[in-house]
Formats: sequence, structure tokens, C-alpha cells
Amino acid sequence: MLKAIYRIAWKDVAGDLRRRATLSSMLFFAISVLIVFQAAFEPDRKEALRLLPGLLWATTLFTTLVGLGRVFQAEEEDGAFEGLLLASVPRGVIFFGKWLGNLLLTLLVEFLILPLTLVLFNVDAWSHVPAILGILTLGTLGLTGLGTLLAAMTRGARSRETLLALLLLPLTAPMLIAGVQAIAGVLLQNGAVEPWLKLLIIFDLVYLAMAPWAFGWLVEE
Amino acid sequence: MKILKKIQTLLGVATLVLLAVGLWFVYNAPEDFQQGGAVRILYIHVPSAKMALLSYLFLTVASALYLWKRSETADILAEAATSVGAAFTAITLASGSIWGKPMWGTWWAWDARLTSMLVLLILFKGLMVLRNSMDDPVKGARATAILAIIGAVDLPIIHYSVVWWRTLHQPPSMAASGNAGVHISGPLLPPLLILSGAFMLMGLYMVTVKARQIEARRRLDALESARMHPDE
Repeated sequence: MLKAIYRIAWKDVAGDLRRRATLSSMLFFAISVLIVFQAAFEPDRKEALRLLPGLLWATTLFTTLVGLGRVFQAEEEDGAFEGLLLASVPRGVIFFGKWLGNLLLTLLVEFLILPLTLVLFNVDAWSHVPAILGILTLGTLGLTGLGTLLAAMTRGARSRETLLALLLLPLTAPMLIAGVQAIAGVLLQNGAVEPWLKLLIIFDLVYLAMAPWAFGWLVEE
Repeated sequence: MKILKKIQTLLGVATLVLLAVGLWFVYNAPEDFQQGGAVRILYIHVPSAKMALLSYLFLTVASALYLWKRSETADILAEAATSVGAAFTAITLASGSIWGKPMWGTWWAWDARLTSMLVLLILFKGLMVLRNSMDDPVKGARATAILAIIGAVDLPIIHYSVVWWRTLHQPPSMAASGNAGVHISGPLLPPLLILSGAFMLMGLYMVTVKARQIEARRRLDALESARMHPDE
């Protein structure tokens, strides 16, 4: 089981690392979002520190959409998706494989984007980098879980990427609120981090428990 | 579906009567000592909010039934409940906003219930768009049903996360075991109860009309595709 998950994930990640298609478009898209925020808000150092949690999560969320638009791209042609479904493992395992591939790419982009944001916005929060990365990772687990499911759901729909954004953004509201509050709590050192981490964990558990099941229903013929 | 045709007129008449009685009570109800006449907006606002949530509940049950039994009727009812729910959610948001301006001094606040309701509206819209953007109606129906159930699980999480985030809206004023918060007083209650009933009938009536419309459209589509591809 674990091997099948790993194989499917590695197929996507290795393929992408060689072509650098998804990774580089996510990365450069994230940088463009940062430029937009800088131009729109022109924060000074103090404001940048206050804006940082929202900035990071908004950039992550938009960037995830770029990655999710391509989750099933490798399976688009020649009936490759049906081929994948024929694999002699439960459908949930196939879902976890696709999810893991997307998760790894998204995390990689987040880890590259965080130092870049701190540099570009002149924020001195280097001592909090591990905590921030931890919170970003925690939120990204559920975010990519829900996202991969919605990507499977909108496969074959017209104007798929717009639809994906319309469906994903409202459902991720709890993750966004909890994630922003948790990072703000870390930066301001006001101690209100733990309840938000719990909410993030609940969010992750709910989606990662529900998504494989829903994926099975979705691809059933 | 045939039963819907039979009850449609009856439902429509009952809705009209109950709405008329309820509005008569609203017209004659005393003004609130703090809110004045603006309290009357709540007689529309509260029943619509109830109906918005009830529609989602109905949608969830119909979706689960569709996934379980593959019954087309359940799918038609789910599709009908989606548009009806969206309408009630929009009415709730609009009426709340109009009430909020004189009472809170602002059209909109990022409060727990307002935010959840706005998310609910986007969710209803998403369900409608998802269904319409699939070329294969069966795939569209299945994807929509799954999304509706995911939404049903997510809505409480959304609600509690925004409750922790910020709260301005007063606690429920009709609940019997409320805290020491706001309570609705005697003479203001009957119109609210009657209108809640009237809105419930109205919701059922709207679902009935919409469901029959959808069924007719699907039959037309089937005829059309049979005409286009006679050999299939």
C-alpha cells in the first residue's frame, strides 16, 4: 500500500522535477503574487510584520491553485487516468498517491517562498522560520487533500481552473483563518497559537479522512 | 414526480394564505422599544435564514440518497434545492444587511454568522456551476452530490472557526434554553412563528416548481439527443 502511494507520488514529482513545468510555474506565480501585494500595500517594516501571516497564506493559497490545475495533467491523454484506476490497489491508495505528489511540490514551493518573502518585504522574523514552516505544512496537508479531490472532481469540466478556485476558496476558509491566526500568534508571541493549531489538525483530519472515500465514489463507473 | 404535480397548487395556495396572515401580524405587531420599526425586517430575515440552512440539509439528504440509491428523483430534488437555497441565502444576506445599517451602523461586518452565510452562498453557487460545467450529466450529478456532502461536513467547521474568530451577531433569540442574552418578547413571537411556517411552505413550493421544471428540461434533452443520434 505504502509502496503504491510512494510510486504514484514519485512518478509525478520526478516527472515534474525533470520537466520543471509545475514547480517553476508555481514558483514564479508566487513571486508575481508577492509583487502584486508589495505594489498594492507598500508596507513599511512594521506593517509588513503585521501583514506577513496573511501574505504567506494568500500566496500559498493562490499558488496551490496553479499546482492543483495540473495534478491530473499527466493522466490527461491516452486514457492514462483509466490506466491508473486499473492499478490493483484500492482507489483510496491512488488518491493518496496523487495527493502526496501534489503535497511535496507545494511544500517545496512554500519552503522556497518563505525566505524570499522575508527578504522582499524586509521582515526580520528569521528566528520564527521553523515555527512558520511547521504551521504552513500543517495547513497544507488538508489544503492539498481537499484540493486534489476537487481537482479530480473538476476533471473534464469546462473552464476547470476557474471552477476549482470557486469551489476551493470557500471550503478552505477555516484553514485560512486558523493558519493566519497561528502564524500571527507566533510572530506577536501572544500565546494564542494552540487553539488554532488544533483547528488546523481537525481540518486536516476531516479532509484526509473524507477525500479518499469521496474519490472512490467519484471515479466509480 | 407525479405527486409533485398534484400538490403544487395546494402548496402554492397554502403558502399565499399563510404569508398573508403572517404579514398581517407583522403589520400589527408592536414596535421594538430599541429597534423601532426596523425590527420588522427580522420577520423576513430570520425565516429566510432558517430556510437557507434547511435547504442545505435537504440538499445533503437528497445527495446522499442519490449516491446510495442512484435515484434520479433524488438528484432532481437536490438540483432544485440548490437554487432555492441560494435564493434564501441571498435574501438572508440582503435583509440582514439592510437591518444592520440602522442597528449596527454598518451594512456589513465580518462576523461569524455573516461570514458563514456568505460562504454558504458561494458554496451553493459552486454547486450550480459544477453541475452545469460537466458535459456528462451523470458525472455532473455525482460530482455535485459528493461536493454537497463535503460542504455539509465543512459548514460546521467553517461556522465554528469564524465563531472563534469574531462574533458580533446576537445569540439565537428564539431558543428556549438561551443564555442570558437577547430574548424575543411575547407579542413579537406569533408573526415570527407564522412567517417561519409560511417560508417553509414557500420553500417546498419553490422546490416543487423547480423540480418539475428540471424534470421537464431533462426529458426535453433526452428527446433532443434521441433525435440527433437516432441510431443509439
